[in-house]
Amino acid sequence: MRNTCYSTHQAYEQPAARSALSGKTLLLALFLPVLGHAQTAREVTGKVTDNTGAGLPGVTVLVTGTSVGASTGADGDFRLQVPATATSLTVSFVGYARQTVDITGRNTVTIALKDDAQALGDVVVVGYGTARKEDLTGAVSTLSTKDFNKGTFTSPDQLLQGRTSGVQITQNSGQPGGASTIRIRGNSAVTGTGQPLYVVDGVPLDGRSARPGLNTSLGDSPDSNPLNFLNPADIESLTVLKDASATAIYGSRAAYGVVLITTKRGKVGEPKFDFGVSGGFSNIMRRIKVLDASQFREAINYYGLDPKQLDLGQSNDPLGAILQTGPLQNYNGAVSGGGENGRYRLSLGYLDQKGIVKKTGFQKYTANFVTNAKFLESKRLGVDVNITASQSREQLAPITNNGDFRGSLIGQALQWNPTDKLYNDDGTPFVRQGQVINPVAQQQYYNDNARVTTALASISPYYKFTDWLEYRALFATNYSTGIRRTSIDQRLNIQDYLNLGYAAISTTELQTQQMTHTLNFNKKVTTDLNVNALLGYEYTKFNYSGTNLSGRGPVSSNGTPIGFGTYGLDYTNYLQYSNPSGRQISSFVDPVTELQSFFGRAILNYKDRYLLTATLRADGSTKFGDNNKYGYFPSVSAAWDISQEDFLKSKYESLSQLKLRVGYGRTGNQEFPAGSARSQFVFQANNGGLVQTTNANPNLKWQSDEQYNGGIDVALFNNKVTLTADYFYKRTTDLLYPNIPGFPAAPGGSSVIWQNLNGVIVNKGVELLLGVTAVDNERFGINFTANATFVNNNVTGLPNALIIQTGTLSGQGLSGVLAETIQNGQPLNGFYLPTYNGINPSTGLYNDFTAASYVGNPNPTTLAGLSATFRFAKLSLITNFNGVFGNKIYNNTFNSVLNVSQIRAGKNISLSEYQGVKESLANAVTPSTRYLESGNFVKLSNVTLSYALGDFGKVFKGASIYAIAQNVFVITKYRGFDPEVNTNKAQGVVPSAGIDYTGYPSARTFTFGVNFSL
Amino acid sequence: MKKILSAAAMLALLQLADSCKINEEFQAGLTPGQIGSGNASSLLDGAYNAMRSPFQGATQVFAMSEVTTDERLMPTRAGDWDDNGKWRALHQHNWDANHPEIRDAFANLGGVIFAATDVLRPEFGATAQQQAEARFVRAFAMYWTLDLYDQVPYREPGELVVNNAKVRKGSEALDYIISEVTAIIGTLPNTPAYRANKDAARCLLMKCYLNRGVYANRQAPTFSAADMNQVISLADQIISSGRYRFATNYFDNFAPDNTNIGTENIFTELNVGGVSSGAQYDLWRFISHYNMTPQGYNGPCALPSFYDTFGASDLRRGQVYKYTNGPSNQFNHQNVGFLIGQQYYLNGTTKRGGLDSALVDRTGAPLAFTRDVKIIETGSNLEVTGIRPMKYPPDFTNNASGATDNDMVHFRLPDVLLMKAEAILRGGTGTTAGSYGSTALALVNSIRTDASRAAGALGTVDLNTLYAERGRELYLENWRRQDMVRFGKYLGPIEQGPTSSDPKYLIFPIPNQQLAVNPNLTQNSGY
Repeated sequence: MRNTCYSTHQAYEQPAARSALSGKTLLLALFLPVLGHAQTAREVTGKVTDNTGAGLPGVTVLVTGTSVGASTGADGDFRLQVPATATSLTVSFVGYARQTVDITGRNTVTIALKDDAQALGDVVVVGYGTARKEDLTGAVSTLSTKDFNKGTFTSPDQLLQGRTSGVQITQNSGQPGGASTIRIRGNSAVTGTGQPLYVVDGVPLDGRSARPGLNTSLGDSPDSNPLNFLNPADIESLTVLKDASATAIYGSRAAYGVVLITTKRGKVGEPKFDFGVSGGFSNIMRRIKVLDASQFREAINYYGLDPKQLDLGQSNDPLGAILQTGPLQNYNGAVSGGGENGRYRLSLGYLDQKGIVKKTGFQKYTANFVTNAKFLESKRLGVDVNITASQSREQLAPITNNGDFRGSLIGQALQWNPTDKLYNDDGTPFVRQGQVINPVAQQQYYNDNARVTTALASISPYYKFTDWLEYRALFATNYSTGIRRTSIDQRLNIQDYLNLGYAAISTTELQTQQMTHTLNFNKKVTTDLNVNALLGYEYTKFNYSGTNLSGRGPVSSNGTPIGFGTYGLDYTNYLQYSNPSGRQISSFVDPVTELQSFFGRAILNYKDRYLLTATLRADGSTKFGDNNKYGYFPSVSAAWDISQEDFLKSKYESLSQLKLRVGYGRTGNQEFPAGSARSQFVFQANNGGLVQTTNANPNLKWQSDEQYNGGIDVALFNNKVTLTADYFYKRTTDLLYPNIPGFPAAPGGSSVIWQNLNGVIVNKGVELLLGVTAVDNERFGINFTANATFVNNNVTGLPNALIIQTGTLSGQGLSGVLAETIQNGQPLNGFYLPTYNGINPSTGLYNDFTAASYVGNPNPTTLAGLSATFRFAKLSLITNFNGVFGNKIYNNTFNSVLNVSQIRAGKNISLSEYQGVKESLANAVTPSTRYLESGNFVKLSNVTLSYALGDFGKVFKGASIYAIAQNVFVITKYRGFDPEVNTNKAQGVVPSAGIDYTGYPSARTFTFGVNFSL
Repeated sequence: MKKILSAAAMLALLQLADSCKINEEFQAGLTPGQIGSGNASSLLDGAYNAMRSPFQGATQVFAMSEVTTDERLMPTRAGDWDDNGKWRALHQHNWDANHPEIRDAFANLGGVIFAATDVLRPEFGATAQQQAEARFVRAFAMYWTLDLYDQVPYREPGELVVNNAKVRKGSEALDYIISEVTAIIGTLPNTPAYRANKDAARCLLMKCYLNRGVYANRQAPTFSAADMNQVISLADQIISSGRYRFATNYFDNFAPDNTNIGTENIFTELNVGGVSSGAQYDLWRFISHYNMTPQGYNGPCALPSFYDTFGASDLRRGQVYKYTNGPSNQFNHQNVGFLIGQQYYLNGTTKRGGLDSALVDRTGAPLAFTRDVKIIETGSNLEVTGIRPMKYPPDFTNNASGATDNDMVHFRLPDVLLMKAEAILRGGTGTTAGSYGSTALALVNSIRTDASRAAGALGTVDLNTLYAERGRELYLENWRRQDMVRFGKYLGPIEQGPTSSDPKYLIFPIPNQQLAVNPNLTQNSGY
């Protein structure tokens, strides 16, 4: 990982690169004929190659700072007369990173160019364009392919996990394709998702997934990842805009940070075919310790229960029975190439990853086509076209966020009496009538399949009026549709479906249309001052709609259940057979949301050392109230590259960079349901009438985030040691909140009035990023990157009487219990629970609890990542650790599923609680600090061993083989499957944090693969 | 080239011009303007349906009116029904202004008031009868808000919710409700029971007059003869209409088909089986054991001292109820009323070892409900303690879909008769109407001796016996708390509850959540 605010520690980037030419000079140099100069003093010869060692023809080699230069020949060789004063050469070629090499005392040099994909050295993608890395004044992290996490991933956000400072990424579940929670610089989401804005090649995404949700008697299913439609293998770089001076250009949608995703494109050259294939498997990373059959028998005696009732004679591993070793396979192929007039890249991908829970998995087909064409003799007119089409198919298990006393599949497996049978003698799953559900039956008698098809297409024509003025338009549409078919067999003993069966089909459509116009000015207006300015207009329209059909099996005329039957067909295939009573039909179309924006930016660079950036965006949104249709989002930031000052440059040669940055900006958030600002009447189900559901608020506006950032970038010893430190102070006000209305108000449990609450959420902290290249030579390389983030989160200024409650606990005896509050003087989502005072050893009953109070912070205060790379010749080893500290997790699974009182009903319990003080089986499931556990952990998240075979005969180029292990182990005291967990336990739209409830267990994944090019 | 460029620029500008007006377009919902006039009947349906949230099921108004009394206990059974102590707080009278049921009832009663007020917006063009019905629904919700919280917030039709709702308190609120109901009674229809009707309005007025002294002073109410004579006169109007008679079976009034066979019902909330309903199924689901049919959550029960007030022959205490689409129950096990002792699998086939099998609990012990129960059950028999009251015969046909048929009952003929008897005992003048007699004793015995009750005649009736009879006749019909307050019994002693509780508990607190958003509300004293 690398932070682009400073020149990095990458070995190929020599210090002199920082005094590099402006883009303009480079362009001029490319188009000017190569001129020989008279004062020739000596000759330098050499060869320019690509990263595989093959010679590159037609490469421009210039004496740095002059127009003296030459082009390479067919095999990459060049010969150049250089002035006596020349100390370095600058080598540049389309599609490759420019490189500068020292020629002092050398007459022969070999220069291996790195392609753009690896480098992104000089130019960084920022909002609506690019900027020279040296010109950046904000806190921006860029990762390119080589920095990405390695392994098997279903969506590109996983490439970032643990690799950047200030960014916390938590996989919400182990289900392949499941959503993750991303928090950039702390948690400030009182409502909504708190997820950053994703921008794919200039197209901001909606942020929702088109996979339909599901609600059955077992609860609500977890969300799918909205980035599933992208193939991680097509991603060239990920840029995280962290501070408001960088994000403010995205205005009212940028408050939670912005992640810019850039896909790979073709490079000038012969057609190239890249191919990668990998395979592997996953298994469960860590298990929850429950009693095995013999311990269960002991426990029956221990608690004085009747073995005749509870010891059913077998010895089973119910969790093991629903798990599997899940195979995976992944194929990626891409054809790319092009000439000066046009480049292209077409890629195809296929991923099939089975989950570690049987009957779950994720399949994805992707196609990505990118072309960049230039027209006219002058090449001033061009068009970029980008098309991504993908389909993902998920097979899902009945693992819900909020299952009731029957739990979800994982809860059932943990609870199933290990002495009870799982299968009948004929091999069919055993069904014990009553409350407990055999997980094997649940698994076998449940089918849930979802398919999401996405097309993201954009066309972006541009015209360069001059070398310094360019107009560009972008027209994009992102269409995604999902269908989900779910059925529950009538043999399963879920009360609502027993003897009847259940079938549901849901569809959704999600569409975003966008039009952007920008005018870009980039000119050296005086010798010392370069101005890079942007003006833009953008219009975006969002549509979201869906349908749902469901029913239960038929009943006879006297009410006796008939059910869908046991014909072996999926019930969703003949929904017309269902009972008309209780059939559910519904459809919805969200109000169309339109967003209209005007924005501008100027980057001033004076003498390459004084930098100033200012941006302004005006956003108009139809979601806002009539009195507040437009919001304004300014930012300003400055940087001083002290190392460019003569007084330092001459004195401290080991100092490669010393740059100070400060910035301020304001961003917004408009994540609330469309239609919330106005009175809306909706039609209720089944002749239910017409009723007002929203409480109008004409003053509703965006939530405002102001952020201050101060940073320093230091590089020493030719960038062998680099350090970036940032302090940030983020202040969130005008909190968007679905307040309880003052009644009388629209009826219904979900009646709210969206308001901008008084209240301030402050996230402040420090981010550190340290890179050390300990050894870097032909044979050996040792490289460390460490990042750490310290965040403090606090809420103030809320109306005194207001305590926002969230963090819904679920399960038996926990109806309506909320474990978290948002209130003054505490971190967001602080746990608010009674304190557990142990168990009276003589009675086994609880000692009295101390009344509920603030007892813990679900938000980590420290995030850390460590990456170490070891290279020996062609063999390299990468290990990534990440850790999270200072947070608490509420273990709702232990609270409601595995508490000891369950054993009296013949259910399994947790080993740790059985081993403690002998507890009375009459203790209630009282939520308390008993189940609040430390969330600290250190995880070996990734080990990658790869061997670069290089060219293989005449055909295969740049081949490499690798073996990767993900989620190798975790060191933690947490008793659940994985401390890296976030079950969605929102109360209404107020999200929760740090609650774990019978989620899909985390997987350990092994991947073996080979990559090569033709 | 220039032409192409300028054409492109024009195209871009056109798009700009078009998109400069940004509008939020509703496609599945309606703005008030889109509703127009002539759709008031749909809005009125919406207002009736809004009543399901606060009233139906076994939470909110029900929990506040029954769990806080001597009729119902919601014991904590180890892993079940702890729910952070909210049920215990109700029964033991130590709730506070954050209690979730108290909070939700206030909000949902406010929802009914709002939805009914919406019908009255002039632009929707409701007919006179539609307006009268809406005003009745609004008055009914206001009445309950007054009874529980003593403060009734209200809004004018079309008023924005960002404004602070105005509030009427105590007697002022009662006077408003009486004036509203009086104003509309002539415009209401005579039937059906599941819509606002003249007799429902009369019943509501009877409640107002009977409790007027309570709302003036809850701790020491006094009752004026004028108010009592109003109660009697209204009762006589209802009785004389001849529209109501005792049902063949007491439980017919609550059965799935009670729309047709509940002949005592004056005002109900309509549930349509398989189509749509409120959560009235909670009346059986909450109490049923996991191993019973229909399966339930094994929760609340009756208190033994209350159960003991029933005579053994009283059919209201329990009986074998035969109805279509239920389990065959061929061995005639008691299936409605108070379930006590061994429970059986009513389909009597082969569930656990042959016909007529006795059910067991989850530990395998006999599922035999015991009389004694504590608010926190800790014994090994904690699953089976407590007598389970099955007041609404379950709708087996629609139980799975959740749209059960049993209409929720608010007002019934016997309540009218008992209120008339009480008014006579409290100083009103007895009158003759219908065949129920003109004295309190005759009125009470007309109920008790009907074949549907078979409870036997009482020799005398005083306020205490009348209070007990109201309990027996109207148990779990949301009137117990109000009755206990009026009869001075609410502050205890209550079995498994307080021996004597603070008078502040005669009124529930205004939820903190509401105090935070409406400065016109003030917290009731003591909270």
